[in-house]
Amino acid sequence: MKEITLADVETAVRTVAATALKNEQYFCELDSYAGDADFGVSLASGFRAIEQEWQALDHSSIGALLLKISMVISKNVGGCSGPIWGTAFMRAGALSKDRTTITLDDLDKMLTAAIEGIQKRGGAQLGDKTLLDSLIPIRDLVHEHAAKPDANPSEVLRLATAVANEAIERTKPWVAKRGRQQFTGDRSKDTPDPGIVAIATMMNDLCTQFGVANRGPGKN
Amino acid sequence: MKKFVNDPAKFVPEMLEGIFLANEGKLKYEPKYNLIYRADRPSKNHVSVIQGSGSGHEPAHVMTVGPGMLDAASPGNVFAAPPMEYCLECIKLMNSPKGVLVLINNYQGDRMNWDMAIEMAEAEGINVKSFIIDDDVAVQNSSYTVGRRGVAGNFFVMKACGAAAEKGTSLEALLELAKKVNANVRSMGVALTSCTPPAKGKPIFEIGDDEMEVGVGIHGEPGRRRDKMKSADAIVDEIYDAVAKDLPFKSGDRVALMINGLGGTPPSELYVLYRKAALRAKAGGLNIVRNYVGNYCTSLEMAGCSLTLLKLDKELEELLAAPADIAVRVF
Repeated sequence: MKEITLADVETAVRTVAATALKNEQYFCELDSYAGDADFGVSLASGFRAIEQEWQALDHSSIGALLLKISMVISKNVGGCSGPIWGTAFMRAGALSKDRTTITLDDLDKMLTAAIEGIQKRGGAQLGDKTLLDSLIPIRDLVHEHAAKPDANPSEVLRLATAVANEAIERTKPWVAKRGRQQFTGDRSKDTPDPGIVAIATMMNDLCTQFGVANRGPGKN
Repeated sequence: MKKFVNDPAKFVPEMLEGIFLANEGKLKYEPKYNLIYRADRPSKNHVSVIQGSGSGHEPAHVMTVGPGMLDAASPGNVFAAPPMEYCLECIKLMNSPKGVLVLINNYQGDRMNWDMAIEMAEAEGINVKSFIIDDDVAVQNSSYTVGRRGVAGNFFVMKACGAAAEKGTSLEALLELAKKVNANVRSMGVALTSCTPPAKGKPIFEIGDDEMEVGVGIHGEPGRRRDKMKSADAIVDEIYDAVAKDLPFKSGDRVALMINGLGGTPPSELYVLYRKAALRAKAGGLNIVRNYVGNYCTSLEMAGCSLTLLKLDKELEELLAAPADIAVRVF
């Protein structure tokens, strides 16, 4: 099976950073329908700092890099996004210390640890209309493919992006139960969750970056 | 929207520097972590009382640092909780052998950043406890429960705990005091206009000239109902009933009554609102021992108000009456 390298992870982080920066206003707009319109700014402030400090980060292993990214986020991002994204990178990094390559099985475990960290931090569950409603199905897909001997990370990325895209429309009619959006009750109904859209937009950009064809409805 | 801004990204740091320059000698400023703190704290004989949330609610919380109120505040960007590291540095800076009390308004972002910071501070051996304030009755029937929001009632928790900490009260007793205030305070707000965070440059929500948002939160997030504009008295009637029936407040209760401006409503209008609220309280047999009319917990330049009632006892009356020397002398 083809492995995921440190260089792949570096490319992936810089790709999602670029996604966060170029969609700053768009993510804020999505957050303004039922939230407080700061999601885009929060996400961009974290990934902008990662871009600025990129050379100085520890690039010795996948885990070392992810843990440093977690620290940059904890220092630069407030609101709900800082603890959620910071915790996710920290948990994933803790499982990939000293590793310069990971398998899909490793990625499955890292995603699971990140999801559990987010759940512990924010108390959200599947069905609460948060980014977990995208991340958990993605993890399930990775888990399913990790068990296959001929699994290919590029194919998994393509399929996971379809899952992320599908999560937007699937969760759109739901009522948010976590985060600031919960306070607006039914107003969150029929508006896409900004976190779920962000995951899908990032996944679509990852497909483009890694040359994986996808038919997703992402903004770009 | 016209605003007095240099660089939107520097809006909060420049506000903090202004607060520092207006209070040199009394307050100190740590620009690296957005911290404003008392020059004479931490003290080994006093619990440090701290709070931090998004900016845009001034005077809450950063302008209430001073003897008799907060010992330090750690504000984030406008309407965004401070990053975890700011919270952690604030706790570490205010570390006292008597302990540190963190007052948190019940918002997910504030709770998560402070929870992480408190875990890390405890791992470093710091004696720190937190208390969650949730006085807003607007979302009481919501099934989306991490509970009620913390709004203007936080002022009474800060004031009581700050005054008690000044007397050398223990961390455990301060926690009990915070619980008592929170258990006896209720609030609800109404917005007439939206507001514009400098870094966004656009109103946070749209609202018609003839509309109001009932049950609005202090981060500009929409409330529980959009309604047609009504008279001042009719608005007070609705929020007074929601607040008074919630505890409930009963005839003979001694209370503090606050009409809080959300930032863009002039004092004249706040007194028109206070008039009706006071008449309602008196008609209901409440004894208004203390009153507060002004901007305490705002949403930038939003026109609107909130009404807060606090049921008092002898201890709370004394603590509210104790002097507080803060950047904005609202008490």
